[in-house]
Amino acid sequence: MGEPTRTVRVPIVERVLEANDEIAAKTRADLGRRGIFSIDLIGAPGSGKTALLEATLQRLAGRRRPAVLVGDLATRRDGDRLARWCERVVQISTGEGCHLEAGQVRDALRDVDLEGVDLLFIENVGNLICPVGFDLGQNVKVGLFSLTEGDDKAAKHPYLVTAADLILLNKIDLAPYLTFDRAGFEADVRLLNPTVPILEVSATTGAGLDAWLDWLDQGR
Amino acid sequence: MPVVHEFSIAEAIAAQVLTYAPVGKRLRGVEIRVGALRGLDSEALQMAWEAVTFGTSMADSVLEVDQRPWSITCSECGREWTSPVPFVSCSCGNQAPSPTGGDELDLLAVTVDEEDDEEAV
Repeated sequence: MGEPTRTVRVPIVERVLEANDEIAAKTRADLGRRGIFSIDLIGAPGSGKTALLEATLQRLAGRRRPAVLVGDLATRRDGDRLARWCERVVQISTGEGCHLEAGQVRDALRDVDLEGVDLLFIENVGNLICPVGFDLGQNVKVGLFSLTEGDDKAAKHPYLVTAADLILLNKIDLAPYLTFDRAGFEADVRLLNPTVPILEVSATTGAGLDAWLDWLDQGR
Repeated sequence: MPVVHEFSIAEAIAAQVLTYAPVGKRLRGVEIRVGALRGLDSEALQMAWEAVTFGTSMADSVLEVDQRPWSITCSECGREWTSPVPFVSCSCGNQAPSPTGGDELDLLAVTVDEEDDEEAV
């Protein structure tokens, strides 16, 4: 008391998401031991994440043994849609959370029988920004864009484009009806990530899905 | 000002600061470094920080953000410079120089009062 208060600076230097990343690393190691290839699917609301997974699960029947975790702010609708095509689906309700975190994925995985599973899809919450920075323990991140969102979305979301191991451009069947500049979209992607593969697909018509399934097989 | 994206980051910082800030010392400041790729807005981060720390032992502390810029390299003339935004033209006329950015998100330091402060919880 009476002494003038001095402040002292305590240096730390640690990644802010250290705690999340440690959990993610454990998950990655566990999945790797089981031979499970895992995909964090990131895209905007309405870009067709669930539709893409429905079409994908349909085509993987008898070929791969997938499991799916699906994150959403509210409702079980996506999980119910996917459960028609896959026995191992767990819905993660994030409440107010705009993205999945490693702990939620790890908890959800306890509810899945992973015996024999060789592929894990994690459908993130519809959002092109927040999910990118949170490692979930996946092997690859897939950035899903769609023609109806407009051709500037890659340029406006550089972190996702840079972090993505694959870019999917969905709703390609709508190209004749929209003014989406595919060359411009690709040029933006290339500036940020010169080597990432870009696949044009339509979850509705099935166009381009064979290339997507081949890409998944290469990840084994 | 869109603060939603910054809110979860501010929450993560708060949780981390709590594990480092010495008990009973009033927290004055928190320093973080943010890479360009993160797309985090400094002002929005500070607003989110105020909201997250309101009513806690970290209230009224200042979040200092060292916002790292994009590095821009022109493939035509070789010029290199930094920019707050990734898509810019070069003075040589090239409309599409390459942007690269870091994705660091680091807690660098906290500043606390050296003397015990009875108001601190």
